[in-house]
Amino acid sequence: MPTRDLTFAIVGSGGDGVITTGDMLAQTGASVGLHVMKVEAYGPQIRGGESSCTVRVSADPIYAQGDLVQVLVVFNWADFAQFRGEILAAPDAIVLYEEADDTPRDQIDLGPETDDVRWVPVPFIELAKKSAGTKLAKNIVTLGLLSELFKLPQEPLELAIKGKFAKKKPEVLEANLKGFEAGKIHASKISDAASGKRMQYTPGEPMLLMSGNELSAIAALHAGCRFFAGYPITPSSEVLHLLSELMPKVGGYLVQTEDELAAIGAVIGGSFAGVKSMTATSGPGLALMTEMLGLASMAEIPAVIIDVQRGGPSTGLPTKSEQSDLWQALWGSHGDAPRVVLAPADVEDCFHATVAAFNIAEEAQVPVIVLSDQFIAQRRETLSMLTLDHEVTGRQVPSAGDLRDYKRYKETKSGISPMSWPGMKGGEYQTNGLEHTEDGSPTSMFLTHEKMNAKRYRKLRRVRDKYSFYRHYGAEKADVGIICWGSSKGPVKEAVLRANGRGERVSAFVPQLLYPFPYHEFQDFIKTVSEVIVVELSYSAQFYKYLQTFLDLPEGHTYVYKRSGGKNLTVGEVEDKIQKVLEMSAMRREVLV
Amino acid sequence: MSAAGVKVELKPGAYKSGLKPVWCPGCGDFGVLNALYRAMAQLQIEPSNTVILSGIGCSSRLPGYVKTYGFNGVHGRALTLATGVKVARPELTVIAVGGDGDGLAIGGNHLIHSCRRNLDILYILMDNEIYGLTKGQVAPTTPTGDKTKSTFWGNPEPSVDPCELAISTGATWVARGFSGEMKGLTEMIAAGLEHNGFSFLNVMSPCVTWRGDDQFKEMKAKVAQLPEDYDPSRRANAVKYTREKDKITTGVLYEVEAPSLTDQLEDIKERAMAGNGSPSTKEMLSSFYPSF
Repeated sequence: MPTRDLTFAIVGSGGDGVITTGDMLAQTGASVGLHVMKVEAYGPQIRGGESSCTVRVSADPIYAQGDLVQVLVVFNWADFAQFRGEILAAPDAIVLYEEADDTPRDQIDLGPETDDVRWVPVPFIELAKKSAGTKLAKNIVTLGLLSELFKLPQEPLELAIKGKFAKKKPEVLEANLKGFEAGKIHASKISDAASGKRMQYTPGEPMLLMSGNELSAIAALHAGCRFFAGYPITPSSEVLHLLSELMPKVGGYLVQTEDELAAIGAVIGGSFAGVKSMTATSGPGLALMTEMLGLASMAEIPAVIIDVQRGGPSTGLPTKSEQSDLWQALWGSHGDAPRVVLAPADVEDCFHATVAAFNIAEEAQVPVIVLSDQFIAQRRETLSMLTLDHEVTGRQVPSAGDLRDYKRYKETKSGISPMSWPGMKGGEYQTNGLEHTEDGSPTSMFLTHEKMNAKRYRKLRRVRDKYSFYRHYGAEKADVGIICWGSSKGPVKEAVLRANGRGERVSAFVPQLLYPFPYHEFQDFIKTVSEVIVVELSYSAQFYKYLQTFLDLPEGHTYVYKRSGGKNLTVGEVEDKIQKVLEMSAMRREVLV
Repeated sequence: MSAAGVKVELKPGAYKSGLKPVWCPGCGDFGVLNALYRAMAQLQIEPSNTVILSGIGCSSRLPGYVKTYGFNGVHGRALTLATGVKVARPELTVIAVGGDGDGLAIGGNHLIHSCRRNLDILYILMDNEIYGLTKGQVAPTTPTGDKTKSTFWGNPEPSVDPCELAISTGATWVARGFSGEMKGLTEMIAAGLEHNGFSFLNVMSPCVTWRGDDQFKEMKAKVAQLPEDYDPSRRANAVKYTREKDKITTGVLYEVEAPSLTDQLEDIKERAMAGNGSPSTKEMLSSFYPSF
């Protein structure tokens, strides 16, 4: 029986071409309109060390990384051991491993249920040496092997190989094409092993293949951002990289600053000067920016900050995802410092959340934090161009009348005062991190402080009323409703849809506007469910505790599933919790009867 | 512009904001402020196209007293804000100001990198060798051995010469002034504003409150001028007038021509845009289709 959904994992060390193999596999899928999700994982080494690439390819839309790997390629078992508990084989997985690696099977941990795994030794090195004359070609051999075994599109793969080696000597290309052939031929010898795993699909139009970081960068330009300042930090640096190429192309400017303090300072300066400005960082960088986030709140200067979360605290797990910067983003401040926090829930969302962040920052003159995370920021997945558009708005400019007697911080009903910028005659003012009067003059008067705090917080009300970003999946009335945020959405959505497919009444609510708190949307959701499960990747349950400050979660009917990051949430975990709570709920009903 | 379209000459007083300085009577910073008004008038700088930025400290209150766009930011970060303003809006005149603690201690890293980048702004560092606003603690420019509020037994650390630091880290215009010398200071501020690149002006600006009544007299007695035939284009010459013990040599110590950050970024922009219009969102996204 053919399949419509297959998850591959390729594991080896830095020099094995693991990432190239995964990349080409993903691009091939995208080129024929398949849905693809590609996740890379590394050790902390700069070069070499263990690396893995997981590629899920499906004829139908997918929302999560495949929990269990159906096709596992292992070049080296020692490298595989570094991913223990992270890369798990499906019970009937096919494991294609380097024949020359004689690690005993009892020393290999493929996962909890692997009795029916098909172990297939493949002489990758030997095949590469014989066909292409170098063991370096073993990734290309692998591509030939996989494409033939699982009926993946071969023509695009060949084009991809030709493209990759186009700039090398003709002999190099020829050798690699031979390697590709050798892989295909070897596949025909072991084709029985692939039964039940051959892909069946109808080719369609090519899809975009992008990461959340790449989308954030382009979204910023779409929103009109023309100044970016940033400091390199994993896992956000791709935003800096892509903008360093694109920003000058659209007539903007980019500076890699000496640290994150300078990055946020420059962003505030650029925005004060009238140019939409942004920075991107991760948790440690956001910590350094905290003081000046307060400055942006106080001086009412629009600023967009993307925080791509990674495991923490401190240096933590730089290359892996976690949802533990929530409190820092919400409350990290001295003084009462209003800001807005948005959380994209998938790769495509990184586009919409980033543009929305600019719109909100400019309209309400506040700093806006986009809480992305490594899982959505660095994984690549297929997208349709059609979904990538978003309305762009700007800041309120003073009228000629305003400029006659300009008061930068004029009291208004909404709290928003028209904002001038250098070059505007009559709009001159001094802004300040000190508390200030309507014209910007410093003051320490209690009454002014109270009035200005109220003005600054009033702006959030408008944001809350105007913007309603959330997702609601599954049953309209549900026995179990899951509340989660950010990248947890993918596995949760897939688990909910599967449960619905079984006829279970399960739903999910995913807020993308985290602060100001979307109280009514939450209340409306809670009314439709009997049991609530809060799901998050934060050991101390930051999200659950945040919800508690604003919501009365149903007492005795609220469950929390939380754990550390470092391993992405899986559909299986979520399904397991849904089942347990469903059982619990049924038991309760029995007791009540 | 007047009604007839004739440009009205701006007098130094036209640059006053009307806000009364909070500085102590006799503070050296008054001299710097007045010299700034005069230099701006001398160059007929358009207030609405000018931004003055600062950090925290007594001298950092200065932007409020000038009728331009102003930004009194947070401690040590004046140059980061100035970087954003100048890079995002290269056509603006940008001036950063602050004290020795703000610029050399908490903000020292930003000074080094602003010099290195040759950021096209004027940075005036008002050096009173003490923390004034926080009431008299030791600063990076306080001489070794001096008793301050935080060095009960005398300052155990050597001090830094801000001009030496600026020269060695890449500033292309470095000068030293004295707040009691209005004429020379005005000329230096005007020259610094006109220089293309990072202009660093260290002004010895006495603090009557925490360094005593004699600081002004002592500084004044030490003030010396550069020789008439001085050649500021050589780093070796300039360095001779740093770390001076018994003298405060005023004047432009160092001046060289080099592309500013603005020049470099404009060049990048020109190369990136060469012949092409700005790409649309759709065009930028399209490069993420599989390459075959």
